Amino acid sequence: MQAEDQDAVAPGAAGPIHNQIGLLTRQLHNALNELGYADQLRGSMGELPDAQSRLSYIARLTGEAAEKVLSRVEQAKAQHDYIASETRRVVASLVADPVAAVAKGEIFNFLTDVERVTKEADTHLTEIMMAQDFHDLTGQVIARVVNLAATIEQQLVQLLIQTAPPQAAPQPPAEPRREHLQGPVVNPESTPDVVTSQSQVDDLLASLGF
Amino acid sequence: MSSALRFLIVDDFSTMRRIVRNLLKESGYTEADEAEDGVVALNKLRNGKFDFVVSDINMPNMNGFQLLTEIKKDDTLKHLPVLMVTAEARKEDIVAAAQGGAAGYIVKPFTKATLEEKVALILKKMGL
Repeated sequence: MQAEDQDAVAPGAAGPIHNQIGLLTRQLHNALNELGYADQLRGSMGELPDAQSRLSYIARLTGEAAEKVLSRVEQAKAQHDYIASETRRVVASLVADPVAAVAKGEIFNFLTDVERVTKEADTHLTEIMMAQDFHDLTGQVIARVVNLAATIEQQLVQLLIQTAPPQAAPQPPAEPRREHLQGPVVNPESTPDVVTSQSQVDDLLASLGF
Repeated sequence: MSSALRFLIVDDFSTMRRIVRNLLKESGYTEADEAEDGVVALNKLRNGKFDFVVSDINMPNMNGFQLLTEIKKDDTLKHLPVLMVTAEARKEDIVAAAQGGAAGYIVKPFTKATLEEKVALILKKMGL
C-alpha cells in the first residue's frame, strides 16, 4: 500500500479495516482449501513467470527475424541499385563505341558483376526465407501460453460452479489435456538437460553410437 | 545430386514445410510432398512411394515420436530414413529419437548447411 493511501485512512479507522481485510483473506484461503483449489491455483500462478519469459522469447525472436530480413533487403537493394546503374553506364558505352567497350573489358567486367550479384541475391533470399522460421517457433510458444491462460480460466470456472447456487450450477467442464512435449526452450541457461546447439546434438548422438 | 529421391516433409506449420521444401530443392532434391501431422504422413507413406522422411516432433493428432514408431514397426516402411527436425532440445528427446530409430536429429532454428549436411550424411550411410 502506498504511503498516501495509508494517509487517506482516517485516524483510528486503520485497525478495523486491517482486520476486515485479514478476515476476507482468511475466508478466501479457507474456501480455496476446502474446495481443493488452493494447490491448483498456486501451481498456475507458479507458471506465470514462465509465461512471461515465453512472451519475452517471442518478442526477441520476432525482433531478430525482422532485423535479419531488413538487413538482407537493404543489402540486396544496394546491390540491385549498383547493377541498374552499371547497366545504364555499359549500355551508353556500347552505344558510343561498341568495339572499345568490348576491348576495354567493360562488357566482361559487367557480366562478372552480374554473376556475382545474382549469387549474392540468392543468398539474401535464402536467408530471408530462413528468417521466417520464427513463425513455427513462436507459434509453439504462443500455444503454451494460451494453454496456461485456458487452465487458469478453467480452474476459475470450476470455482465459480462450486460456489454457485444449486439451481444455477452447470456441469463442470472436462479437464484440459496436458501436453508432454515442451516446444522451444526459451531460457536454455536456466534449463538443465537441454542442448543449445546442433553440435551438442551431434555429440550426444555420437556418444550413443549413432 | 539425387534428384530422383522423393521426400515427405511432416510439420504442422506450413511455413516450416515450405522452408524445408525450398531448402531441399536448392540442394537438388526436387521431389517432395508435405503432411501436417503424423496421421496424414502415415497415410501418404502407405499410399505412395517415398525415400526419405523429414519430420517435426511436436504436432497434433500424431506427434513425430509416434510417427517414427509406426514407421519402424511397419515392414513396408521401416527401411525409410527419418530425420527429425524439431524445436525439442531436451537430451531425453534426442536419446528417445535415436533409440526409436531416427536417422538424424536437427534442432530448430537450423541453417541450410546443417540440413544439407545431415541429409547427405544419411543418404551416404544408406549407400544412396
